[in-house]
Amino acid sequence: MNYYTQLTVLASTPNPSSEGDILSALGIDWTLLAIQLVAFLVLVWVLGKFVYPVFLRIIDERQDKIEASVKAAEAAEQKAESAQDEVAKLLKEARKEAREIVTTAKDEATAMISASDEKAKARAEKIVVDAHDQLEKDIVAARKALHNDTIELVALATEKVVGSLSGSKLDKQVIETAVKETK
Amino acid sequence: MDKLHISLAAEPVFHIGPVAITNAMVLGIFGIAVMLAILFYAASALRKGKYNRFLGLLQWTFEGFLGQAEDIIGDKKTARRIFPLAITMFFTVLITYWVAALPGVGVITWNGVPLFRGLPADLNFTFALAIITVVASQIYAIQKHGFFGNIGRYVKNPFKDPIGAFEGILEFIGEFSRLIALSFRLFGNAFAGEVLLMVILLLTSYAAVVALPLVMIFEIFIGFIQAYVFFVLTLIFTSLALQTHGHDDHSPSLDHSPADAPKKTSAAES
Repeated sequence: MNYYTQLTVLASTPNPSSEGDILSALGIDWTLLAIQLVAFLVLVWVLGKFVYPVFLRIIDERQDKIEASVKAAEAAEQKAESAQDEVAKLLKEARKEAREIVTTAKDEATAMISASDEKAKARAEKIVVDAHDQLEKDIVAARKALHNDTIELVALATEKVVGSLSGSKLDKQVIETAVKETK
Repeated sequence: MDKLHISLAAEPVFHIGPVAITNAMVLGIFGIAVMLAILFYAASALRKGKYNRFLGLLQWTFEGFLGQAEDIIGDKKTARRIFPLAITMFFTVLITYWVAALPGVGVITWNGVPLFRGLPADLNFTFALAIITVVASQIYAIQKHGFFGNIGRYVKNPFKDPIGAFEGILEFIGEFSRLIALSFRLFGNAFAGEVLLMVILLLTSYAAVVALPLVMIFEIFIGFIQAYVFFVLTLIFTSLALQTHGHDDHSPSLDHSPADAPKKTSAAES
């Protein structure tokens, strides 16, 4: 196990015959450097031409998709909001209409009730008036009948009292006059 | 293995013509092949509309990083232009860092040289990435401010605006410090990680069976952090380069502006 003693650093010592500068000591070889530089640029070109566009396209597509779905979500939200507004508006209108209908119905009912009240009143009044008329007519008729009955009664009574003094014609005249006077 | 073989530089394994293929490049090619396989599989599966958890994870990562890029840059269009570069840096650093934590890296040798080495543990690679980041941020800055407008960020009339001129010099030095900071941070972490793995292996001997996995998990975590840091710093440097310094009048009022940009940069780099 004498590795430690054998640790030798084979740093490429600068070649005294060449430039002998620090760069060659560090292993800089301009030919190799140029080759690697060009090789790397070719690598960048190849990857930039054939590989990266695929990745970039996919990223862009996904970005577009995300943007589109965000927009769609926003539109849907707006739509939902406007739909809600619409519903609220409709509800308001419906309520207003319902209220109007109820008010109208109430008014109509009141009007109908008052109309039928009036009608009933008018009819009742008519019945009363008719009854009055009939009553008056009946009174007149009764009076007339009473009048005739009275005349006949008086005639009969007078006949009985006076006897058959004069003719029936005279009797009647006298009675009528007497009746008139009594009136 | 009775010797700890540590080399600061990536070592050539074989040559193709005049070009030396280093051990970092060998593992780097493997890591990038794995990355390409995964990403192309994911792309084709996603194109067909398939979905599974792994694809979901990749997509989630991609989306998260894109969102972050847009947040840092501020402008969605510019963010999407710089994004392929930044995310490729993330994936490349992540995968090449992770494959360097695989067993066998550093210990399998070929002609006395380790066959595999993490690509981020090769300064050539991290330096190349840093150069690309700084140059890209300059290109974007020139596109935005114009060529002379971009130079105007560094060079200001010291008689008209002395603080601004000093700030411009700091800004200019800052560009180079970014280059160094970016490349050395990643290289240092990856290199230290590999050395740590090898040292733990030697120190713990047979107990390495228990000890190494813990360090490997730690390395995987550090790999993610480094890849993420590289990604974010690339974006921050670009966004700093794109900033317009509209307030040229730095006269008496002690507003926050002179110290603002360098402070931000140093905060990002720490």
